[in-house]
Amino acid sequence: MVERIEDLNLPNAVIARLIKESLPESASVSKEARAAIARAASVFAIFVTSSSTALAHKQNHKTITAKDILQTLTELDFESFVPSLTQDLEVYRKMVKDKKESKASKKDSSVAESANASATPAAEEAAE
Amino acid sequence: MMEPKTQPPVERPPSAETFLPLSRVRTIMKSSMDTGLITNEVLFLMTKCTELFVRHLAGAAYTEAFRQQPGETLKYEHLSQLVNKSKNLEFLLQIVPEKIRVHEFKEMLRLNRSAGSDDDDESESGSESDE
Repeated sequence: MVERIEDLNLPNAVIARLIKESLPESASVSKEARAAIARAASVFAIFVTSSSTALAHKQNHKTITAKDILQTLTELDFESFVPSLTQDLEVYRKMVKDKKESKASKKDSSVAESANASATPAAEEAAE
Repeated sequence: MMEPKTQPPVERPPSAETFLPLSRVRTIMKSSMDTGLITNEVLFLMTKCTELFVRHLAGAAYTEAFRQQPGETLKYEHLSQLVNKSKNLEFLLQIVPEKIRVHEFKEMLRLNRSAGSDDDDESESGSESDE
């Protein structure tokens, strides 16, 4: 649970950077505007989460899925976010899969190597 | 150098990297009532989505105020104006309210009061005993 209300704030530096990237060159942001955007972002996250939770519950699911979030975004009139988020999700899933595979293959190869060179299995493991 | 900046402000390549800290986004998600388990994938998507929202909000407020002119300053009132105008930002009306001046507020109070007392006059006989 949240102990302090500041725990709901998003880091200022990251917000500032995201804002800067989305504005034309040499544009600036007032401090008050930046604070308002940061607050809005926290509320947005809560809003989307609770809406997605409601959607998941309606379908008798206990936990929300990526699909629930994307559907919620469409319902909340943010369907313009969906295509790029779908792409991000594809990249993310691929990354997770690659990580798993490389981990698995590493294990395989280290097992094979230690079998081949039974003299240095300890060194092999230490390198992992 | 003038760069042809015709692309929408929220354009960016897809990536599995996030800028905002996942742990903070998780805390925010948990603060919402009866959020169950949060999978890594959902956490990632929510973080990306919040980042996109920040970009969208800033970019749209700026575009609305200055089109694509460079070098202007985005101020609070540009945000509250956008929030007031956009249907999908309605949930922010109380988070980013339009500021009003004290005398405007007093005027509002006065109008409200006189409107309120009109109502009282109409239902005087019925609801007087409530007070």
